[in-house]
This record gives sequence, structure tokens and C-alpha cells, in this order.
Amino acid sequence: MRTSAVAGIVFTNVHDETMEQLTEFRSMAAVPFGARYRLIDFPLSNLINAGVYNVGLIIKEKYRSLMDHVGSGIYWDLDRKNGGLHLMPPYNTRSARRYNSYIEALYGAIDFVERCNAEYIVTYSAGIVANVNLAKAIESHTKSDADITVVCHRRPGLADRSIGLNIDADGRVTDVFAENDLSTLGIMIFKREVLLRLVRQAYQNDATDISPKDVAAMIKKLRVFGFCHEGYAAIMHGKESFYEANMDLLDANVRHDLFCKDRPILTKTRDDMPTRFGTESVVKNAFIADGCVIEGTVRNSVLFRGVKVAKGAVVENSILMQGTEVKAQAEIDHVVSDKNAVIGEKMVLKGNDQKTLMIGKKQTL
Amino acid sequence: MSKKKCVAMLLAGGQGSRLGVLTAKIAKPAVPYGGKYRIIDFPLSNCVNSGIDTVGILTQYKPLELNDYVGSGKPWDLDRLNGGVHILPPYQGQKGGDWYKGTANAIYQNLAFIERYDPEYVLILSGDHIYKMDYSKMLKQHVDTAAACTIAVLDVSLEEASRFGIMNTNPDGSIYEFEEKPKNPKSTLASMGIYIFSWDKLKKYLTADEQNPESSNDFGKDVIPAMLAEQEKMMVYRFSDYWKDVGTVESLWDANLDLLNPKINLNLSDRNWRIYSRTQALPPQYVAESAKVENSLITVGCEVSGDLDYSVLFENVTVEEGATVEYSLIMPGAVIKKGAKVRYAIVAENAVIEENAEVGGDPAVVGHEGWGIAVIGDGLTVGKNAKVSANKMITENVGEGEAV
Repeated sequence: MRTSAVAGIVFTNVHDETMEQLTEFRSMAAVPFGARYRLIDFPLSNLINAGVYNVGLIIKEKYRSLMDHVGSGIYWDLDRKNGGLHLMPPYNTRSARRYNSYIEALYGAIDFVERCNAEYIVTYSAGIVANVNLAKAIESHTKSDADITVVCHRRPGLADRSIGLNIDADGRVTDVFAENDLSTLGIMIFKREVLLRLVRQAYQNDATDISPKDVAAMIKKLRVFGFCHEGYAAIMHGKESFYEANMDLLDANVRHDLFCKDRPILTKTRDDMPTRFGTESVVKNAFIADGCVIEGTVRNSVLFRGVKVAKGAVVENSILMQGTEVKAQAEIDHVVSDKNAVIGEKMVLKGNDQKTLMIGKKQTL
Repeated sequence: MSKKKCVAMLLAGGQGSRLGVLTAKIAKPAVPYGGKYRIIDFPLSNCVNSGIDTVGILTQYKPLELNDYVGSGKPWDLDRLNGGVHILPPYQGQKGGDWYKGTANAIYQNLAFIERYDPEYVLILSGDHIYKMDYSKMLKQHVDTAAACTIAVLDVSLEEASRFGIMNTNPDGSIYEFEEKPKNPKSTLASMGIYIFSWDKLKKYLTADEQNPESSNDFGKDVIPAMLAEQEKMMVYRFSDYWKDVGTVESLWDANLDLLNPKINLNLSDRNWRIYSRTQALPPQYVAESAKVENSLITVGCEVSGDLDYSVLFENVTVEEGATVEYSLIMPGAVIKKGAKVRYAIVAENAVIEENAEVGGDPAVVGHEGWGIAVIGDGLTVGKNAKVSANKMITENVGEGEAV
């Protein structure tokens, strides 16, 4: 299959509102994650690892950090003459509506879809932390001659809710209200013509979304198939899921699955020095980016680039974003600090399993 | 090509034979340094930070990895429409071609490259040193003094002076004599191998040098003395910050551990003078519950479960539980298995130290006589329970239980 046969579309503002302070100044896609990444790195890397080098980003608002992060796309090898990265902020004309819904957003990207010369379109919601083998998903989509392939995964604990997918022996989706734990992962592969038709129809009918009901109707008329992602997956939906997914990275199995060598997760690189550990540092079970200086104690935590932990300071069960400074003798536990936060000398700040404490961007305590 | 005020030429063709197995497959400027850098990052970053955006890199010995590493020059912001970084290997012309016979001949063979930019000055650099230097200050002095050549010098101790090329100067900083490794040095101003020439003078003396069949075509041995003999104005430029030649195993080891010494002024995280490097987007490092890490540098892709003290881990290094690494450099992709002990050693790229093996020795224990850094060559394996003593340079696999 020629590589230009597939194009990708990433929704960068999905469920922004669930992330509270984390998305106060940025979109979901730009939320920092896992010590050196932002959430957009997962869709972009998964797409290019599947040979998809034509990617449009649907951007609605608060996109400055996202633009700064993706730039020309060079870090994902997406600065291409053919294809490459296309940023699609709202296109304000008299006839176009501002992206207030899924359908409006897709309709706003319809020029991209029409022009991209691809046979298949992958739509991807930012906010999913997973290393998905999209090449396999695309292969399964073409083999089964599906109109739509829904990437799904098992979420134990959700079996009792009626939102599971039923998939028959051929892989075809037969029900979307089943009581099982097979849930969608926010990634779908469409035949381009099918996507164009669905979006145009919905837009003309003033629909804002493709509701589960619509999907239920669709699976009767269209060939809708499922593709199961077997590896790790976390869906960002609120601060708790963000905290948990970061902490999951302390588990070797999750790390090795998510950052597997044959499908690397790429990100913007900075020129930080390696992390320096001081003469009295105590570091146990921590996931740490470059550019940190650790002179105190760090346990069960995720440290982003350039974090400083001074002598006598203790950091436990915390996620400290880029440039956070924990001054001497400060003690923090169950804290999520946004970029460039400062925790002053001898400050004690302790959350617990039920409640993690948030420190805002550039906030000084 | 539009005109450039100053073009830099970086001599990167040397073998670096004193680094032994560490340069068996790569040129010296490509030798890893400081966890995520290569030696060549220093002159390249200094150039771009000093406002010099046109750099010719003269390669000859084992250039594959170096070429790959430099690539388009993007990591140093040297991918330019006009100027930028250019790899200059020896080439064939209509009348045949030659390897670079010496440092001066390497530049001579690339006069046409320099000519394209019609510069006023040419900066000659080498890829053997770790230092941060603002070449624009040196250039300013060169222009202000109207010198034909300016040579950067470091004031070294009298004992060290006989290891260097020494500049004997008048009180105004002009050079009246150059002595290569003098037994009885008259001065302690050591050449750092960094020269700025006025382009017309450089062209004149390189052309003359090429026509001299007796010449070894070397800057230090031939060109500088010839210019002195003609009474050209030659000035020293004094430099007093950190500078280290990393031409030997011990100096390379030393220069790495200097990064852990708070008393040494070598800050690589200075935002105003960044040292750039080609980095891969590897996952962050993981330090396990069982790890004990003190006074060390660790970078991306590492997984540390053992004990580390006074060491530098490069990208993708694994140190397993119960392993000990002290006063050592562990280069990219190397693995230190359970219970292994690595002390005062350099473990090169992708080498594997198997379980309970021992590499290197503490000078306080083995005695300073005959002590040295143990070096394990790249991709080699030191077998289970094997022992590699201090000062050994390992060039082939060491079998299980073997002692060398």
C-alpha cells in the first residue's frame, strides 16, 4: 500500500474541560505527560510509526503551547513536502460555524480530507496514552473491506455499564450497547468517501455529534469492524486519570509496552544536560527526564525536565512538571505541580490517595 | 554564496590513537562525552553561540559515524540556506587526489570551499577539546590588533608546559617564538589549537607551505614558524575558563568526572551558552526502588537498579540490581549485570559486563604504581565472574571466569 493512502486527523481539544487546571492555558493535546512528553506525542508517533505522514490537527482554542510543541513537525519527521503536518485552527467565514462539536470540527477539516488524496482517514482523539499498532489496524481495515474500523480495548471494571462493543467472529461490530468491557479507544479508521458522506450529511442535518444511536443505526447499514488494542491504554478524563496514568509509568511492564523500541514515542527534544544526582540524594522508584538536579529525596514520582529538588527536600508520590523547584527541607506528597511552580523552603504539602494537590503554572508557595 | 566575515574550519580527521579501542571504529570528535554529547558538540556549539554560521568539517579517519552525527547540522542550528555545516572529506581532482597530509594541507585542499564565502577571517578549530569559548571575543581582538594570526592560549603550570606547544611572547602579547613541547619552557602559555587567520595571509602561507617539499604541512610545525620567520604580526589570545584536551583515556575520564565536581566551572545547562547535541527522543530514565544513586549524571533511556557513585551513565544504559558502578563512564547501550562491579573504568558503547564480573580497580587498593583506567571496547562482553584489572584495555571478549 502506498504510504500516502492513509491520512490522519487528530482532535486536540477533546474533553479539555475535564482536566481542570491542567487545561487552563492549554489544550488536551498539549498536556504534559510522562516526564518529557505531551499527550499529542502519542497520536503523532503512532501515526508515523504506521507510515502515516499526512496529519491534520484540528485545533479549536488555547493552542499556543501545542503550536510551540509541534512546530513544523520535525521531531516526528512530519516536515514533509508531500503531506506532513497541517494545523487547522477555526476557519471563520460567514458559512462556517466555530468548532463547537465533533461534526463542526470535522466539517472544518473537510478541505483537508478532500484534498489529501488518501483512501483512508484515521481520526484520533488526543488524550489517549497508548502505543497502538496502527499499521496492523489499518491492515485489518483494508482486509475486511470495512467502511469504519473502531479501535477498542478492554477496560475491566466497565463490564456492567451498557457501553461495550459486541464483535462477532469476523470482527464485525454487532452492538454498541453491550454489557461487556470492550470499549472504544477514540481512534477510528474510515474509508474517505464514507467519512465525507457522513460528515456532510450530519452537518446538513444540523447534527452536532455522531451519537451512540446514530452509530447503532450505522452498524446496520455500514460495514463497521472492531480492532482490539492489546497493550496498555489510559484515557485522560479528569485529574485522577492523569495522576494514575503517570504513576503507571513506574511499572516496568507499562513502560516497556508504551515505549517499545520498534515503535518509539517521539517528542520535541530540548538541549538539557543529563540529570545530576547530588552527593546526598536518595532516589527510589522514579521516572525522570533530563536536566533535573536532585540533591534531596525522591520516591514514587515522575519528574519532568529541569526539576530541582534541593538538599533535605522530600518528594513522594508526586508529578512535578518542567522547571518545578522544591526548595530545601520542603516536603511534598501526592502533589501535581504545573510548569515552573516553586515550593518554598520548609513548606509541607501533603495530599493523600483520595486527594492529590494541584499547584498551578508558575505558582510560588 | 553571500560573503561571510568569518568561516570556521574544524579539523576532525585525526585518529586519536591514544584513545585506543575507544576510537577503533569512530573518529575522535565522535567519541561520546558527558552522558549525551560527543566531543564535536563543543566546537560546533561554540561556533553557533559565537555567531559563526559557516563551518567546514574536515574528515578523514573513520568518518561514517561522524558524518551521520553531524548530518544536516540541524541540532546546532547549522542547517542554513547560506552557510551552515559542510563535511569536507579528501577528494579526487583531474590530476588525482591525496589524503590530507597534515592539518595545513587539509585546509589547503579546501581553499575553494573557503573562497566561496569570500571571508575576511578563518577560524581553525580541532575536535579534541572540551571547553566553552566565545570566538567572537577572540575575533574582536584579532581585528583590533590587526594581527595576521591570533592563537588562543591557556596559562598552564610549568610542569605541564613541556607537554604543549608553548608561545613565547612580548609584553604586548605578540609572539616572538613558538616551541613545540619544550624541555625547558620559557613561558607557560600553551596553544589550545585554536587559530584565527586573516584570510589573505592564510591563503598566502598555505600556498607557500604546499610548495615546500620539506614541509610536513602542519600548522604548529610548519605554518606558524614560517609566519614568525617572516615577522608577521602574531598575537596570543588568553583564555582562562575550563579547557581540557581529551586525547587520552585518563583525560577523557577526568573531563567527564569534572562534570560532577562542583568546584569546576563547566556548566552545560547555561541557557546563554547551550551545548547542543543530536539527541534521540528516548524515554526518560527510571531509577528503581533497589537503586542507590549518588553524585552521578544519568540521562534518557537508562534503567538503574544498582548502586552508582561518582559516575556518568550515557543513553540507554542498564545497571541491574546489586551491580556497583563507581568512578566510571558507562557509554550508550552498555549493560552492567547483577552483582558486577565496575570501578575506575570506561565501558564503551553496547558492551556487556556479565553477572559478578569485576572491571577496574581503586588506586587506593591496587596501588598507584601501574594503576590506570580500565577500558572495555565497544560491543564486547566480559563474562560471568571474569576479572579485568586496572589499566587494562580490552579489545576482545573476556570469557567466563577469566582474569585479565
